[in-house]
Amino acid sequence: MSATVLHTEVGVSDEKQAAAKSAGRRFGALVVRLGAIAAFAAIMAYFVIFAPGFTSTFNLINVVEQSAILGVLAYGMTAVIIGGGSDVTEGGIDLSIAANMGLCAAVYATLLSMGYGDFLSVMAAIAVGMAVGALNALAVVGLGILPLLATLAVLNVAAGMELTLTQNTVVGASSPLLGVLVSGSFFGISALAWALIVFSAVMIVVVHGTSFGLRLYAVGGHPEAARAAGISVPFYVSFTYVLSGFCAAVASILTVSRLSASTPGSGELLLSVLAAALLGTVFSRRFVPTMGGTLLSVLFIGLLANGFQLLNVSSYWVNGVQGALILLVVAITSFARGSEGSR
Amino acid sequence: MTRSMKGLVKALALGLAAACSLAAVSGATAEELSLKGKRIGVSAIGTDHYWDLMAFKGIQDRVKELGGEVIALDAGRKDQQQIAQLQTLIAQKPDAIIEQLGNLEVLNPWLQKIRDAGIPLFTVDTATPHAINNTTSNNYNIGAEIALQMVADMGGKGNVLVFNGFYSVPVCKIRYDQLKYVLTSFPDVKIVEPELRDVIPNTVQSAYSNVTDMLTKSPEKGSIGAVWACWDVPQIGATQAVEAAGRNEVKTYGIDGSPEVIKMVMDPKSSAGAVAAQQPYEIGKTSVDNAAKYLAGQKVPPFTFVPSVLINKENAAEKGKPFLDAAEKAGVK
Repeated sequence: MSATVLHTEVGVSDEKQAAAKSAGRRFGALVVRLGAIAAFAAIMAYFVIFAPGFTSTFNLINVVEQSAILGVLAYGMTAVIIGGGSDVTEGGIDLSIAANMGLCAAVYATLLSMGYGDFLSVMAAIAVGMAVGALNALAVVGLGILPLLATLAVLNVAAGMELTLTQNTVVGASSPLLGVLVSGSFFGISALAWALIVFSAVMIVVVHGTSFGLRLYAVGGHPEAARAAGISVPFYVSFTYVLSGFCAAVASILTVSRLSASTPGSGELLLSVLAAALLGTVFSRRFVPTMGGTLLSVLFIGLLANGFQLLNVSSYWVNGVQGALILLVVAITSFARGSEGSR
Repeated sequence: MTRSMKGLVKALALGLAAACSLAAVSGATAEELSLKGKRIGVSAIGTDHYWDLMAFKGIQDRVKELGGEVIALDAGRKDQQQIAQLQTLIAQKPDAIIEQLGNLEVLNPWLQKIRDAGIPLFTVDTATPHAINNTTSNNYNIGAEIALQMVADMGGKGNVLVFNGFYSVPVCKIRYDQLKYVLTSFPDVKIVEPELRDVIPNTVQSAYSNVTDMLTKSPEKGSIGAVWACWDVPQIGATQAVEAAGRNEVKTYGIDGSPEVIKMVMDPKSSAGAVAAQQPYEIGKTSVDNAAKYLAGQKVPPFTFVPSVLINKENAAEKGKPFLDAAEKAGVK
């Protein structure tokens, strides 16, 4: 809106200057973006050459398996950012997603340990996950609260409910479904790795291959234009929060299978989930989150921890490098955003 | 005591060296442990607590001392990360893996996978059927001793606040079960229900507010006689809460022997009643020795106990100091 005002008021020469400035910034952003991708590639190349056993199929499948939970959560986060717009302060964000996974895992493990079968327990976990997502949607779309604050509040609700349910203890769980997820293997690829592959394929097709996905981007990018085109913005935004809750529930089943239990402390994953969703934007030319970009950054985060361990570099570095990369990406996105703003 | 032991070891080593040179034998003897050319993977659930850090350090120092290469992995108290680290570690095929603490329910299937991969597994403070050896303190003793000290200080009657948030951690289970067993002989000592939950992180703050709440709920002096925890970080918060509430009749009890807590017990005015002090650094080192012995083809017992000391108000000045010195020597505060 301010841009149109600007257009009518500033002179032609000013406009030219602004255009040149914006082109310069855009060029700068491109350089930094390519630089970031080059840094990713350099780190990977280093691992390939120096980390013993890094490229073995066994190791790579391990990494895919290790990335499954983070991946599923990051897709939820990415969908929310796409639908709500990627403005860091006012755009879409779901801070409750990791805590929601913890709650779903607790519900799932508790029901299993009480003797309810897989079907009922899985359904209950998914229902709880989507209900928490719906609560987010209600707060953001219904009450108009900033997503950052709304989902922060819901984070606390979910974490509190998990604590009430489990009393902060480990709830052991075993079931036929968990057995398959833990030790199942098809075509030499473990079930957990398959879970990530299938989930990724579905997400990429839905978001990038359908008109539904296109509308989702429209809603996040230009809500006014989307509304003018007759798209129900509230519906799409609400949908992303419920989808994010669904992702949390799916991830919770994967996490219970991997840990043979629901354990406290799921909330810790939030930073990695945010990192994956934000890092993914450098793989897009317009710095928007994409499912493919998210997948790449999830795998990158997994490979980073793996490569460091194979090189026998302290695991403490992983957090440091992850943090530095987030800072870099957020800096790049604000840089690029700046060029859009002055356009 | 440790100094005289060291002297003895030195004398033995000298004697052995002399014997070896006399006989011109060049084979490895039982005392000459070596991990030359061996890679030892070490996985710890976290090192944010004094005990964990000391044991983790003890393991790494000893592996290096014996000439081995160490792959040290700290999961930062995240189960998810520890499992990923163990999975990658299995693929790295080290000569042995030493695992330190964590949730047994989560770990057991993965410890099984370590054994299935043919990698010898040793544990620190983690009793599991999958380990060749578990090096730890005698937690049965520790649990009974600290419980008896508490009952004695209480005069055999009163109410106890108990932190029981980590029953899934094997050593805590043993200590808690021992407490319960001791209390069967003292029916006038009662555990206040519901029990309290200690948490990680924010252990001290959370214990502080839990105990403060309970003291507020039972305002009459003498209505609560003691606070018990299976480790000593909740004890810090509990002691601070008791003192802040001016309820000096309440004494606190814990296990591990963090320097901070030993200092509290040494302070006659502090409400910290007693702490069972372990030697985590020695425990870490000993587990490596066990691994080295096993890799050299020697027999290793299923568990090794490293001595611990009950530090109470009476003996604190004398018994506490060696532990504080050891902490200072290791550079861990």
